[in-house]
Amino acid sequence: MSFQLVQPSTPEEAVGLLSRSAAGEMAVLGGGTDLLFDLDRSRIAPKKLLSLRKLPWRYFRWEANSLVIGSTLPLSALELDPHLRSRLPGLWEAIRDVGSPALRSRATIGGNLGRCSPVSDLIPILLVLDARVRIVGPTGVREHPVDMVLQESRRTSLGPAELIESVILPASAPSTYVWQRVQPVNDISQVGVAVAFLPEGPHWRIALGGLQPRARRLSEAEAVLRSARPTHFEIELAAQEAARRAEFVSDKRATESYRRRLVTVLVRRAIQTTLERAPLASRPRKAPR
Amino acid sequence: MSDAPLTLTINGKPRTFARVPDAERLLDTLRWRAGLKGTKEGCRTGGCGACTVLVNGEPTLSCLVLSREVAEEKIRSIEGLATEKVGRLVIKAFAEAGAVQCGYCTPGFVVALTAQLGRGTSLPSVDALLDGLEGNLCRCTGYRAIQKAVEAAREAVR
Repeated sequence: MSFQLVQPSTPEEAVGLLSRSAAGEMAVLGGGTDLLFDLDRSRIAPKKLLSLRKLPWRYFRWEANSLVIGSTLPLSALELDPHLRSRLPGLWEAIRDVGSPALRSRATIGGNLGRCSPVSDLIPILLVLDARVRIVGPTGVREHPVDMVLQESRRTSLGPAELIESVILPASAPSTYVWQRVQPVNDISQVGVAVAFLPEGPHWRIALGGLQPRARRLSEAEAVLRSARPTHFEIELAAQEAARRAEFVSDKRATESYRRRLVTVLVRRAIQTTLERAPLASRPRKAPR
Repeated sequence: MSDAPLTLTINGKPRTFARVPDAERLLDTLRWRAGLKGTKEGCRTGGCGACTVLVNGEPTLSCLVLSREVAEEKIRSIEGLATEKVGRLVIKAFAEAGAVQCGYCTPGFVVALTAQLGRGTSLPSVDALLDGLEGNLCRCTGYRAIQKAVEAAREAVR
């Protein structure tokens, strides 16, 4: 394994370097917790590695209605924020479940999206929170829902010279992230379930990780939850619908059928926890049938 | 840029190494160029915590960091912590609690615990400290003795 490391300090410089390199010649390095692993296994052999570490994207800020997270911010910085746990509990849980503290001091949200792992612990919660992704490239800046950016493992819809600049989330939402693993820490989830309750669109959002080709929302299961206060029966139906519709991975961590059984339990649990987290005052009236 | 010299700030001192490949990991630079073999190579995939060092005070897996990426940052290894007050107290607590058997994982535990106890903010609870060690694996002691060491170290720095 040998490559040249380039460390641009401005986004323009980074995009320029990518624009001028041939396909496959240059790989983009975020925190490196996943990419370096691929390099070790010789899964990829780029001539150059473009480090994003010196770009001014290691920030996060709360705005009136949103949380903006720079793509290269280490996850540990978010974890320490005093507001995140109460405002976006599902995101806090998902972040705390990535690797270990020493891994989270490097791992980034941009890297997580860019790598698009089907078993990412962050992608399901970003999907249910309607995260938007700001992308910079040779033609300027564009912003898309996270669902449109993700494709499959190690593939996104980003152009060859485009980079993820930041991720934009609602400032608060009752939400939950739960998972099942062989080991609780330093392991990859067999399945991950994210649920959020949003004020607009379909209120209930359910997304699963551990699917092929990648995590996705289960609109079929969401459709079962028509009211703000679903009944136990509806919750059970939603859980079964999620398990029935999802296309699970079958790998060394769990078989497809085991994942399917797990999901019925986890979806139920995530909806119930989210209900408990929805404050009474802001709870909308029952949606019309 | 490949194979150029590299200067790192390790335990407070600048150290310059000749001809460091861009692909070299911090773990290897520390062990094989700086001769600081307290930092251990375990899984080399970010799963065991044996290679934990501090980068700007944050526990970091040195097996997953390119040395060149931390050229402008402050690196502290177990050897550096052993010369500082909090580090010494943590090491003493591990020794007295019998929290060391084969010793391979110990530097990683000590570094991760020292980082938390040395932040200078309010003293974390024992549970919070143990959460901070969740990425460190030990295959000998079974963690009971390590937990005792954590409790003792917390008392000692209080």
